[in-house]
Amino acid sequence: MKRAAGWLLAGAAALGFLLPLLWMLHASFRPEPAVFQGGWAPLLDFRGLHLGHYADAWRRAALATGLLNSLLQVAGILGLGLLFNSLAAYALARFDFPGRRPLFALVIVLIILPVEVLAVPLLLTVRDLGLVGGHARTLAALVLPFAVKAFNIYFLRQHFLALPRDLEEAAVVDGAGPFRIYWSVALPAIRPALATVLVLDLLTHWSDFIWPPIICTREETRTVQISLANLFTQPPVQWGDILACAVLITLPVLLVFRLAQRHVVATHLAAGIK
Amino acid sequence: MNPLTGRRRLIPWLFLAPALALLGTFTLVPMLRAAGWSLTDADLLRTGSAAWTGAAHYSDLLTDPRFRRAFFNTACFALMVVPVQAALAFFLALWVNRPEPQWRWLRTVFFAPVVVSMPVLAVLWTMLYQPMRGDQTGLVNALVAAVGLPAQAWLQNPRLALPAIAFMSVWQGVGFQMMIFLAGLQNLSRDQLEAATIDGAGAAQRLRHVILPAMRPSIAFVLTATLILSFRLFAQPYLMTRGGPEDATVSVIQFIYETTFLGQELGRASAAAMLFLALVAGLALAQRLFAREVRS
Repeated sequence: MKRAAGWLLAGAAALGFLLPLLWMLHASFRPEPAVFQGGWAPLLDFRGLHLGHYADAWRRAALATGLLNSLLQVAGILGLGLLFNSLAAYALARFDFPGRRPLFALVIVLIILPVEVLAVPLLLTVRDLGLVGGHARTLAALVLPFAVKAFNIYFLRQHFLALPRDLEEAAVVDGAGPFRIYWSVALPAIRPALATVLVLDLLTHWSDFIWPPIICTREETRTVQISLANLFTQPPVQWGDILACAVLITLPVLLVFRLAQRHVVATHLAAGIK
Repeated sequence: MNPLTGRRRLIPWLFLAPALALLGTFTLVPMLRAAGWSLTDADLLRTGSAAWTGAAHYSDLLTDPRFRRAFFNTACFALMVVPVQAALAFFLALWVNRPEPQWRWLRTVFFAPVVVSMPVLAVLWTMLYQPMRGDQTGLVNALVAAVGLPAQAWLQNPRLALPAIAFMSVWQGVGFQMMIFLAGLQNLSRDQLEAATIDGAGAAQRLRHVILPAMRPSIAFVLTATLILSFRLFAQPYLMTRGGPEDATVSVIQFIYETTFLGQELGRASAAAMLFLALVAGLALAQRLFAREVRS
């Protein structure tokens, strides 16, 4: 009896919590004029649902371009970030060198720096470096400023520190150099932490709607968030199309998250918080 | 063997070089440039030949009603979100922290909004908060009407807009904090809890004397992170209300953003950015000191 009540409560809470997302999914299949009609009752009405909004959204928002560009953007940030952040984190965790303490203090200070505030000086720096215009330059401007993150360096350092030293010492005895030890011993050992960092970065940059519109001035370079925003500016504004577009740009993140979930077990977050 | 031969001394810096190069170019240099501009009358189109203004922007901003409003709004948002989100996340973590695998789906449910990007959720909630117009209304008003309360123009009413945005923000982020608390709870050894139970401690006593002390690092982390993140408020009000109605939801970051891009006043916007950085740094420092005080 108590068990059943527990399940019932959990089910009700889950339903209430997911209601906004369920409404989004449902409304993206409904005929346009019905989106705001009849309150909550239509949520149980499955007649007249159709895929039209998805076809329209794909075409009107030029989602193929948007998805491709966003994919390149996050792949670049995640790939470079993984390498550069973990290299720096490993140096801060395992090497003793003059300047290590002030450097680590700098990393801590930079963690709290909100990047949004520096969008304009960043734009001017990027412009000075000539990273505006074509596809390759735009991609560089989307990726390079955000690949290295102070929080990721800090987080990975904590995980490197938590590793037992025996593994690395055994590799030294085998005659491996420092880069080899980092690459084939230490890095694989903190795989869960790397997965966590990757997922967080993916969420951050997939949803970035500030920097891409500043940088992606040409049609062929726009990202998913620009695609979504464009549905509001080209008449007629169709709510169904907007919701379908919203669902479509959520799917890739959901997929990656599902794949990484196994690694991002809650316990691994803990080592970073000390 | 002398460990500090030339090659050995170079190795750490080789590891650090790529990260330092990018951080320097894209974070430190822009920050220093902004600090410089904040003391001049630079504008977006002419950054080179700006005249020195000293601290004029700073004293000007501190008395600017819109800037003060933006600060006030952001602080109100943080005051609403931080305690509610942290407490709710803690409660949810206690709830879903069950060993049986069939309970894992509940964690996924509470985490789901975290995976959807903020602009998408801003669009969605703008639709959910739609005011009543004829037979058309958003889901929130439909639910409010179902329990017999009057419909509201949630985002168009200056008194309701910020709380409505805070509500949506708590819903969006609570799953993430829950995961961090869950990590802390799972590190807490089962033996400790069982020992307490055998000693006859009730649920409330266990929470107070075993769980809360052990969870202190997670709680400190969540409070600091939520506080700093909620001061970064921008996406939700910018996309849902453009800062309105009557500036009721203007955030500090929106103020900075508009001052540069619409007003093109780079010097003034940079000064606002510096004030904001100082505030966030101060908050983080105060929180750290406070946490240390509590611990000792």
